[in-house]
Amino acid sequence: MEYAIELKGITKSFGPVAANKNINLSLAKGEILALLGENGSGKTTLMNILSGIYMPDSGSIFIDGKKVSINSPEDSGKLGIGMVHQHFKLVERFTALENIRIGMRDAGRFMHGADVRKKIEDTAAKFGFEIDLDKVVSNMAVSEKQTLEILKVLCYGAKIIILDEPTAVLTVQEIDRLFDVLRKMREEGHSIIIITHKLNEVMAISDRVAVLRHGEYIDTVVTKETNEKALTELMVGRKIELNIDRPVMEKTHPLLEIRDLTIKNDEGAVAIDHINFYIRGGEMLGVAGIAGSGQKELCEAIAGLRKIEEGQMIHEGESIVGMSPKKILEHGISMSFIPEDRLGMGLAPSLSITDNMILKNYNESKGIFVDRKTAREEAQKVIDRLEVVTPSTETPVRRLSGGNVQKVLLGREIKSGPNVLITAYPVRGLDINSSYTIYNILNEQKKKGVGILFVGEDLDVMLALCDKIMVICHGRLQGVVNSNHTTKEELGLMMTGTINIVNKDGKTDGIAKDSAFTDEEGKA
Amino acid sequence: MRRYHLVRRADSRIGRTIAFYAVGILVSLLIGAVILFALGINPLDYYGKMFTIGLVGNRYGYKSIEGFLKIFVPLLITSLALSLSFKMRFWNIGGEGEFLIGAITASVIAFNSEGMPNFVTVLLMCLAAMISSGIIGIAIAALKVRFNTNETLMTLMINYIMLYVIRYIGETKADWNFFLREDSERPKFGTFPDSAVMTGIPIGQFKLLWSVIIAVALTVIVYIYLKYTKQGYEISVVGDSSATAKYAGMSVGKIVLRTMFISSAMIGLAAALTVSASGTISDTVTNNVGWTGIIVAWLSKLSVPAVFITSILISVLQYGCQAAATQYPAIDINYADLLQGLILFSVLVADFAANFKIVKKEEAKNA
Repeated sequence: MEYAIELKGITKSFGPVAANKNINLSLAKGEILALLGENGSGKTTLMNILSGIYMPDSGSIFIDGKKVSINSPEDSGKLGIGMVHQHFKLVERFTALENIRIGMRDAGRFMHGADVRKKIEDTAAKFGFEIDLDKVVSNMAVSEKQTLEILKVLCYGAKIIILDEPTAVLTVQEIDRLFDVLRKMREEGHSIIIITHKLNEVMAISDRVAVLRHGEYIDTVVTKETNEKALTELMVGRKIELNIDRPVMEKTHPLLEIRDLTIKNDEGAVAIDHINFYIRGGEMLGVAGIAGSGQKELCEAIAGLRKIEEGQMIHEGESIVGMSPKKILEHGISMSFIPEDRLGMGLAPSLSITDNMILKNYNESKGIFVDRKTAREEAQKVIDRLEVVTPSTETPVRRLSGGNVQKVLLGREIKSGPNVLITAYPVRGLDINSSYTIYNILNEQKKKGVGILFVGEDLDVMLALCDKIMVICHGRLQGVVNSNHTTKEELGLMMTGTINIVNKDGKTDGIAKDSAFTDEEGKA
Repeated sequence: MRRYHLVRRADSRIGRTIAFYAVGILVSLLIGAVILFALGINPLDYYGKMFTIGLVGNRYGYKSIEGFLKIFVPLLITSLALSLSFKMRFWNIGGEGEFLIGAITASVIAFNSEGMPNFVTVLLMCLAAMISSGIIGIAIAALKVRFNTNETLMTLMINYIMLYVIRYIGETKADWNFFLREDSERPKFGTFPDSAVMTGIPIGQFKLLWSVIIAVALTVIVYIYLKYTKQGYEISVVGDSSATAKYAGMSVGKIVLRTMFISSAMIGLAAALTVSASGTISDTVTNNVGWTGIIVAWLSKLSVPAVFITSILISVLQYGCQAAATQYPAIDINYADLLQGLILFSVLVADFAANFKIVKKEEAKNA
């Protein structure tokens, strides 16, 4: 077989951590290779080596059979390697054409030359991209930005395309369209590496699958000859049960009711637009939507961190609108939001587990001094109960692995004994094992009669875990569906705003029949 | 092909850090020795005088210690104050300006204190300096909290504004200007009446000024404040992640205002103690503590005990350089500044070397 890329013995360490250990990997010409591995298994590091961002400590790279040395992204581009990063590298204020043009070094003096436009249009037509070249990036939807990124590397003449988690931000329908483009590229003779940890996508698109685990190369298998279960075992290193529990509970009275809620985002645009829903005790309500559909603003509003424009938020028959975050917390609503960088909100990364435990109640002890003795005991309790792996209670949270960080965060939220738990992306970036621990923690809370709002990304997980799923699109409610009576496709269509089932049967969302709080009371 | 690249060291061993620092200082001293040698001075002799801050074989040795302490006290307090704001990730680089404001307001009281009891005057000077510096600090913090202005620019500008204010005062002969000597034709800063000059505890000929005792006490207080109090805890959280602080229900704005007030007020206090101890004011009264304090705070990694020790070392260096330079006609104070610069620079390089290493790229063994 002819190989587009061969990697031999690639090793890269960051301090004591070996991100890549003696990795051998080959990409055949005209194939789609899926690179599979849990978080922290070294996928992104390896691809960054190929794109010239990192230099390997040892090892050699062969492109088309010739040994090469990649010292900069420019070298990588000259060798025909193009990378589409997970976080897009686009100039927000430029148009699509300008974004592509700035990287074309040998295309004459003028920014908007006719030949430049022609070249880009030709490439777009060849691969079947639909794109408005004069649209400014800041006005583009996520999927448009991604199309632009891919078109960009194709215009630079890349024959080897690396896509880092391209599907994370897309809906089911958009993923299908992306896969069509990738297949077309394969037909044109391009070689593609796609990084993902969604197994169904690996099965759908790839020819072969290479698996990494803890920075080590495990194996490459032909997709047709394997299945999801076998791949999981390769990835995790042992057999694992893939079923998520969903205990069915007796649902009690409505705990949190949201009526006609409107919230603006930081830029002053409407983020949440007249949304109605409620959560009962012993129930888990999922929130599905494309990234940036208002999930963050909704969570912040309920936790009292964001001003609302209109509407009511009622907790056990009492309005919580205008209450301070502290007051809301005392009421029994606890919010944990895992942002994209995982540490930005909810935890202070440089402080110890002990110090993070008391973040929300350090002020309750008497006197001017912080009560670290109680805090240390509480930290130890959380460590024991949730099996947090840490050298001690005094270890800075930053030094813990992702799963343990999230356990600490959830542990603190549960510690205060809330009756409404709002959790956004609690398994973001976690490997399979840690994810299951988190699901168990949430289910335990549910069994205790806590109402849970679960803002998630992975539809499969939400269908398995949540009792009901609420879908939002551009801040508008698209409907609340029962997990047992819906499909991924339906959710996908609701997420893009194609289907709206609010008030379909003439029933109003958001006002539970046995609510202790009438609409009139709220207006008074 | 690039064969070498930089890698952060995995662990930080205190022994290695000290070794690198020692090598760095040695190298800078060697460079300094070459210059001394070229000027015809015996470097060993010079360095000997420098590191003993002119104590050895000096009949007036106690004067050396007093001189050293006059440099040490303002540097220590300023560095502590800056550490406080840096811990909150508030880049207060306006130490110079805040110091000058304090010095000016303290001097206003000092020049008008004829006949007042010494204790009352000095106390008033300290209070006035702390309040005036604190107000400027809180104003800059308020702009940051309210309009999200860039505090680095704002505090930097204060330095220049105050420098020109004090130069204006120092160069303007006018009826209102009680800062200047009346008996001098040329504009010249006057000296404080005795009522405004810092006293102390006499130990033989040596006088231990109250300012030294205040500075040491402040070190202990700041240490406890940062490490054990709720307000100290709030500073760490805000510095680590202001989003988290907000999420935890802290009012970030209030914490920023409060901490900046304390930080600036401490610098004001340093200024009041300095002008009172020297009995006069000038446009070089800061002795650059606003800048040197930044270096002290960062070299100490914002740890209070380390700030104390680093302040001593840098003060020894500064005073020692000056003391030694006065004994040789061939060199002047500029050489002292040069040597100080060399040593500080090499310490920073050593600090970098202690945290990073250069590694060689290896070829694959099995390729």
